[in-house]
Amino acid sequence: MNDLPHRPLSPAGTMRRRELLARAAQMGIALPALGALGAACGSSSSSSSPPSSSGPPKGTAVLLNYQGWMGKHTVADFEKAYPGAGIKQASLGSISSGAVVPQIKANMSTYDAALGDQAVTGQGVAADIIQPLDWSKIPNIKNVDEKFRSAYTHGIPTDYGKTGIGYRTDLVSEPINSWADLWNLAPKYSGKIVFTDLDRDCIGSALRYKGYSVNTTNQNELNQALQALIDIKPHLQALKSYNIGQGLAQGSYAIAMDWDYDIALAQQDNPHIKWVLPSEGASAYLEGFFAVKNTPQIEVLEAFFNFFLEPKQYADFVNTTGTAFVSNAATPYIDKTIAQNPALIVDPATLANVEFENYLGEATAAYNKLWDQFKSA
Amino acid sequence: MMRYAGQALRSLLALPTLAWMLLFFLIPLGLVVVYSFATISLVTYNISFGWTLSNYRQIHDPLYFNTLTRSIFLSISATLGCLLLGFPLAYFISRQPSRWQKLLLVLVIVPFWTSFIVRTYAIVNLIDNGGPLQHFLHALHVLSGPLNILYTPKGIALGIVYSYLPLMVLPIYVSLERIDYNLVDAANDLGANPRRTFRRVTLPLAMPGVVVGCIIVGIPALGEYVIPEILGGGKTLMLGNVITDQFLSVGDYPFGSAIAVALMVVMALALIVFRLTQRRAAPS
Repeated sequence: MNDLPHRPLSPAGTMRRRELLARAAQMGIALPALGALGAACGSSSSSSSPPSSSGPPKGTAVLLNYQGWMGKHTVADFEKAYPGAGIKQASLGSISSGAVVPQIKANMSTYDAALGDQAVTGQGVAADIIQPLDWSKIPNIKNVDEKFRSAYTHGIPTDYGKTGIGYRTDLVSEPINSWADLWNLAPKYSGKIVFTDLDRDCIGSALRYKGYSVNTTNQNELNQALQALIDIKPHLQALKSYNIGQGLAQGSYAIAMDWDYDIALAQQDNPHIKWVLPSEGASAYLEGFFAVKNTPQIEVLEAFFNFFLEPKQYADFVNTTGTAFVSNAATPYIDKTIAQNPALIVDPATLANVEFENYLGEATAAYNKLWDQFKSA
Repeated sequence: MMRYAGQALRSLLALPTLAWMLLFFLIPLGLVVVYSFATISLVTYNISFGWTLSNYRQIHDPLYFNTLTRSIFLSISATLGCLLLGFPLAYFISRQPSRWQKLLLVLVIVPFWTSFIVRTYAIVNLIDNGGPLQHFLHALHVLSGPLNILYTPKGIALGIVYSYLPLMVLPIYVSLERIDYNLVDAANDLGANPRRTFRRVTLPLAMPGVVVGCIIVGIPALGEYVIPEILGGGKTLMLGNVITDQFLSVGDYPFGSAIAVALMVVMALALIVFRLTQRRAAPS
């Protein structure tokens, strides 16, 4: 289904995972960082100057983005720094990220840019909806760590996330270090385990448990992952796509398959929550902004992308959303609760143990079917 | 002449509604039907319109066929649940003095004043293990352990019954309220016991309300996807969720359209069968 870790709960009007996160962040979790951002909020550095060759960019670009998935001051600061240029954010509401490409394809003139992960940009390339960028106009791309830059080439990387395990050390007596530990402990903690309700993350985790790539197209390996998921399903309390960490903090369940940043957020509410990057490895997403093919606002977008990657502006984005970040250059401006959290920290050992979800082309259908089989079992 | 002018004016008054229905109901419905016969490349998202039945053949896959069966079963269960709870309530209300009836009807409608989503999330807290319903059942000594109905098909059925109950109560109440209770008295005078009076007099006269209630509860319940998503914990695949996924996640509009059309056909067939059985029953 290409649902990436940002699929909202389906009903219209339901609060989305990221919306919740953003609201939580706005309600105070990221507040300590905002003071440090004072300088960044009202000014921009020299690297944000408009390109001199063709004059300042003018116009308003429409960015298809998740609600609240932007620095608190980023757009206002950009529009202040670039008079005449603007960013208008649009959201697909309850629609998952898997719908981004079909939506853009059907409305090519409506959107100028979008947020999407590697699977989305892979889809976008296949559907011919992505506009290559002029990297000479985005010098701040140097601030993004090489690993992310080389993995996300069709736009600017903005954030990434890992699917690991969070558990309550006061409710689970055994240590959990791997997916195998989780599967083995499932009968003992039956009904106290929650998995993510996102196909690629859930299937990817089962694939890592069985020792396979999260991007496999081998049907036999996929079948083994399906069987593993079906085996553990009777012990799952629910599959959830939002507020997973909150339930863990409240004790609604003891073990959860969850995203790094959600666990990091929940740890602030309950110190008994432990984050585990499973020893078999974890499935991960890497996402960013890309331009839509033939957009007339390409200059505005390139200026905005460059502005977004300024360390202070990027820190505003991270502090607002609480996401795992892709630019160590911004670390000095990022709230310490985020920058120093083991779940979110960017280090080579962690990155060596994660595998990014790629676009699977025709094989996507096999994942869609497998997911429905699991849900129906 | 004047009569024709009056008719023309009345037709004009209907024009905005007809235009609205045409634009926002019939044309989109036609598009869904057309899409259901099309094919899409899930790589390029290019759609080829044609008259292929391949999307409909996919529904025969046991995976989706079982999902359809599960949805029908759940819809019937929830409708019966609404009927079993709604009929006595509607009967009770209809037998109250007029001013009390109004108050009780307002109480039935009160839940609609709150957002549907909020109400469904409220049920999560009500039926969760350790929640008020569990405490209540423990107090009554009906239950001793955990409730264990949240994130199960039972939880979904309970949520549908709760959400749709007013839609069952109101039409039944209207039918019951119109009954001439002299007929009930006559049946009693002629020696019928209360059970027989109910079966032979009250129930047949309330039948139009029961039918309407079953239709307006059963049909939306069949395609329901919000309640299964929230109260099913994502573990129970319903047809409404499959359609949603095909449109909003997979991007396979033709297959999603085919399931939607198939669901509409099932509903239409159910209505036709219902209607036919009613007609056959009517002369007797």
